Amino acid sequence: MRLNEFDYYDPATLEEAVELLNQKANGAIIAGGSDLLVALKQKLQTPNYLLSLDKIPSLKKVKFTENKLTLGSMVTLDDIIKSSLIQEKLPALKQAAWEVASPLLRYQATIGGNLCLNTRCRFYNQTSFWRSTRGPCFKTGGKSCHVTGTEERCYAAFCADIPPVLIAYGARINLAGMQGARTISLADFYNGEGRFPNVIAAGSGEILTGIEIPFPQTGVKSVYRKFRLRDSIDYPLVGAAVALKLDAQNKIEMITLSCTGTASGPVNIKSINEVLRGAVLKPEAIWDAAAAAAVELHPLKTSLVSPRYKRDISRVVIAEAIATAGGVTL
Amino acid sequence: MKKVIKLTVNGMEKELLVDVHSTLLDVLREDLGLKGTKKGCNQGECGACTVLIDGNPVPSCSLLAVKADGKDVLTIEGVAEAGKLHAIQEVFNEKGAIQCGFCTPGMILVTKKLLDDNPNPDEQEIKEAIAGNICRCTGYAQIIEAIMALAGRKQVR
Repeated sequence: MRLNEFDYYDPATLEEAVELLNQKANGAIIAGGSDLLVALKQKLQTPNYLLSLDKIPSLKKVKFTENKLTLGSMVTLDDIIKSSLIQEKLPALKQAAWEVASPLLRYQATIGGNLCLNTRCRFYNQTSFWRSTRGPCFKTGGKSCHVTGTEERCYAAFCADIPPVLIAYGARINLAGMQGARTISLADFYNGEGRFPNVIAAGSGEILTGIEIPFPQTGVKSVYRKFRLRDSIDYPLVGAAVALKLDAQNKIEMITLSCTGTASGPVNIKSINEVLRGAVLKPEAIWDAAAAAAVELHPLKTSLVSPRYKRDISRVVIAEAIATAGGVTL
Repeated sequence: MKKVIKLTVNGMEKELLVDVHSTLLDVLREDLGLKGTKKGCNQGECGACTVLIDGNPVPSCSLLAVKADGKDVLTIEGVAEAGKLHAIQEVFNEKGAIQCGFCTPGMILVTKKLLDDNPNPDEQEIKEAIAGNICRCTGYAQIIEAIMALAGRKQVR
């Protein structure tokens, strides 16, 4: 599998990069490239040019202030793992970054790339030869989705590890485009649609420049829990990020839960707060809440395991994440 | 589209005219003839193509050569010095941590990085360090044993 020919630009300023992206048609932004190169080899994407963000120094900045962390989109996952301040202030972010791919890929992979990760499906992430036997699915320009068989939409699964954690932390992202810069909540970056799963993929002509993560209030515990088929290197079958705070009586004051791996975007389970607020964390309450949360995930057969298995495992992963954050043994 | 890049490969400065769509792996193997770096899965999952870039192990199949411009690259050919095997290579031989040899260049390079950072790793740290390198002979026991034998040695270099 060789790469198709393309042009390559690595401008030194953000302004040039934004201009180039909006002037020339059919380009792809390359950050670390560890995931994009596989897609290019499989001819899942056939851009005319790659726009590299390597030479823009401002995108590699890490800035701690009193109440938040601002990460440039080109900060590598390895940098995140090795930061003792992130470990101290945002432990679930470190945990999620550590669970992405393998150590080798984490030297290359960036936080921005992880947030912009494309959705995945057993019918999509295959070589062009494999895909040619079945004809194009909806995501590759065909009429219908191979997973459901009929529908005119794409159900590929969103499998990035870091977004659910950042959504649980209430992170915001900075985008730069022709109309200038804007900041939106990370949750709003995703549209839940499989084919073009985020604002940039849907064609906004913007570049993700940074991520602002507010430090949680004192006493908030955060956890990321991931389940995958191969422990050394794999995308999540399901991942759950939990942030919770207990009051003086050990009752839940607030809880947020965000999941990945099951739908076409990260799923923010808002009902968890109504279910568990005011409750004392006991195994029974956790299992009930996890079962109710798992019902809100609607996995389809986008990977090699059955949707039923995914639902069952989601319940366990969510329960374990809540229990770990609350310091409870299940 | 072609581009001129500068690389330091195993201590030697090179100026190369490369296709922008070439991976670093292809440039190392085909333009520079350094065939010690292996092409395995070609998707960044197996670690056979590992090289050290500015001291960090990276799968060279998943890195465009143009993105390595200006960087220092160490391949397996640069690990031995003046015809003498590196201590890691010696121990891999002694302990039988080498079967078909396809994963070995990558395993040696991640071991080098591990020991450079942490000269006395425990078994868990070793397993985590080699998590991105697959040995399809499944000779992991001997590989871990070999790295354990190096742990705590004063001079692995």
